[in-house]
Amino acid sequence: MGDSIAAFFEQLAARGYEPLLHSVSGTYRFDIEDQGSWGVIVKDGAIEVTRKLPKADCVLISDREIFARILQGEQNPTTAFMQGKVQVVGSLSLAQLFQRLFRIRPETSLNGREKDGYQHCEHS
Amino acid sequence: MDTNTVSILEGNTFVVSDLRGDIGISPADPTGLFSWDTRMLSHWLLTIDGARPNLLSTDDLNYYAIQFFLAPDTGKVSFDAELSLFRKRMVGKGFHEDLTILSHKQEPIDLTVRIEAASDFADLFEVKDDLEKKGECYQRVEDKRLILGYRREQFVRETWISACEPATIDERGLTFAVHLEPHGRWTTCLNVVAAIAMSGIHNTRVKYQHEDKEAKPEMQLNLEQWRENAPRLMCSWNWLERIYQRSLVDLAALRYFPALMFGKSLPAAGLPWFMTIFGRDSLITSLQTLPFTPELAGTTLLALAARQGTMIDDFRDEEPGKIIHEVRFGEMTAFEERPHSPYYGSADATPLFLILLDEYERWTGNAQLVCRLELEARAALRWIDVYGDRNGDGYVEYETRNKETGLENQCWKDSWNSMLFADGSPSRLPRATCEIQGYVYDAKLRCARLARLFWHDPALAERLEKEAAELKQRFNEDFWLPEREFFALAIDGDGRKVDSLTSNIGHLLWSGIADEEKARACVRHLMSEQLFSGWGVRTMAEGEGGYNPIGYHLGTVWPHDNSIIACGLRRYGYRAEAARIAAGILAAAIYFKGRLPEAFAGYQRALTRFPVEYPTACSPQAWSTGAPLLLIRALLGLEPDGEHLLVDPALPRSIKQLDVLDIPGRWGRMDASGLGKLDIGDVHSDLPLAL
Repeated sequence: MGDSIAAFFEQLAARGYEPLLHSVSGTYRFDIEDQGSWGVIVKDGAIEVTRKLPKADCVLISDREIFARILQGEQNPTTAFMQGKVQVVGSLSLAQLFQRLFRIRPETSLNGREKDGYQHCEHS
Repeated sequence: MDTNTVSILEGNTFVVSDLRGDIGISPADPTGLFSWDTRMLSHWLLTIDGARPNLLSTDDLNYYAIQFFLAPDTGKVSFDAELSLFRKRMVGKGFHEDLTILSHKQEPIDLTVRIEAASDFADLFEVKDDLEKKGECYQRVEDKRLILGYRREQFVRETWISACEPATIDERGLTFAVHLEPHGRWTTCLNVVAAIAMSGIHNTRVKYQHEDKEAKPEMQLNLEQWRENAPRLMCSWNWLERIYQRSLVDLAALRYFPALMFGKSLPAAGLPWFMTIFGRDSLITSLQTLPFTPELAGTTLLALAARQGTMIDDFRDEEPGKIIHEVRFGEMTAFEERPHSPYYGSADATPLFLILLDEYERWTGNAQLVCRLELEARAALRWIDVYGDRNGDGYVEYETRNKETGLENQCWKDSWNSMLFADGSPSRLPRATCEIQGYVYDAKLRCARLARLFWHDPALAERLEKEAAELKQRFNEDFWLPEREFFALAIDGDGRKVDSLTSNIGHLLWSGIADEEKARACVRHLMSEQLFSGWGVRTMAEGEGGYNPIGYHLGTVWPHDNSIIACGLRRYGYRAEAARIAAGILAAAIYFKGRLPEAFAGYQRALTRFPVEYPTACSPQAWSTGAPLLLIRALLGLEPDGEHLLVDPALPRSIKQLDVLDIPGRWGRMDASGLGKLDIGDVHSDLPLAL
């Protein structure tokens, strides 16, 4: 269980950029019971993961089992929050945007959009 | 709206009470303080010496404040009451109530004033369906306040009640021992705080209290600014000015500020029960209001993009790229007994999102937003082809993946029995309704423009134009009913054309998918006695098997539907017909003091001379509020063309002159005027000068 949580943050760091967060900038901290904390810095979709804990705009607090179930796709992150199983301190909107990362499956991911010949817009 | 109740609201917090200000007294009327889709207070009763005072009058100050004027029951008509009671209530993070008692006696008097309070913490869905709670309610008195709470596992909701005057507080309410000198006055405030209204949302005090001198003016200013920023309208038919002002004020009340959008607002669907984001309703209302309050459209696009589907989730009818249908925050949603976290059961919201994105740029020139939402727009286009077209026949059809709590009909006519054949028999799922194909056609052409101009992808533009042209050709063959000369309502799961004559054909003109010849035949039907009631186009034509003038989608007249149809008629050059529909709907509005209901009965206007309201829970309803604005656009023929605003008025003679000044857009501000020259036919469909 603990391994899957550490692995998630390692994969997140390896991903480096997530198009689903292309318009998101903010600093997150995840406090997972018995597992410690991770910092995730997002800047226009670019992702940096750190164990040095930054001052966070949004702190997500969860016990290990719930967080592992979210990562496994067994627990919806939005309803976990609504039920009080995941606490959010700080920006709710940042929390809401991040939850998309828990909900992508490679076979159905929107990441496939890049293959459509997408180029960056000059106006952005 | 129920005439036995009154409501005030701010965002998604609202209070519905009876006319005396009490809550939960008549079981027939759902009342309460609601916040984030949970009833935070279900019982609130004021008594003086054990008796309920009588109602003198209710003053609906504005959408967030109300006053109740009461007096004790003397038991006899001829006896004057010797006390007066005023209750003034303001909503925001709960509500604040100032209770004042005036004595008109010559002697001192002692009174027992009691406020009973309780809460069932029902989810909005439970209020509608009368379901049992699964958790535990609790009450306790702590720190001079009454705490009402509810717990189910880690799910907690709490309401805190306190007063500024000394009170004896017990678990069922507050009691005040009041002594009044001759002609004396006593007052207390009552604070009902929605303390834990949602996970992560903790309030320790209500937003507005009587001592907050700035509170009310600040909100008032907000409303003033809102009205000032909108264009000014002047019309020789004075009612239009009143209808326009009514729409602006109601739109202000319907503004919903999602947590995601940092102080920006979008139109919620209806007040008070639908104060939440609805994909379809927020999109249509944003389209209707673009020439007047374009900021609503920008927020709607961003808020919907942030919630766009990312995966296949049967329970929520979610698919990658799909735009949401509805978001809710109550207990049943939290525990996945309802799918609204968010729910994606809407097949038209995704193409409508693309249409709004393009239309927003055409009006505002905000290319930045078009670029920012490029990925989302591409995902939406992909949804149309990959997931929207479920059976690969080239049309978008719907059938819920959630058989227990998903929606049967995922188009705007979303009642379970709206999709009937001409003989009245039901059609089968999955259903490809005609108007959704029109939206897809329009969305693809519009995205071709965006791809070419902003996304630097001419190949995508060409592909989309080719697909749109092919869709138009196939659609005009596959949906056409040659023997009846109109487009089928839908193609059902058995591949049969659903052959009822309905208002949906008007949406095909708005989208531009109908061939010219076929459009002409459709216009003939739209203006026929079977469809046009004299007030507007019925949802279903008289003479069809399922027709019912008081059936929700089976014969009633919907103002928003008609505003879209009027625009469609203008698009195809049917100026007098568009003016006739606009005149009919605007004439109906005056019978509702300028506020159009969601729907009214399909009775022939010449028969009733009065638009009979269809009873619905919400008033105002966002897209009915937006309907007059889109009708004004149709009457003046407002159309952005590059950096300019084209004006091509087509007004009925009964409107001698119409001026709209300072219309915002990429041109800065521009004025539009028109003189009424059109003869729109019989007097029964024209504008009355007075009632």
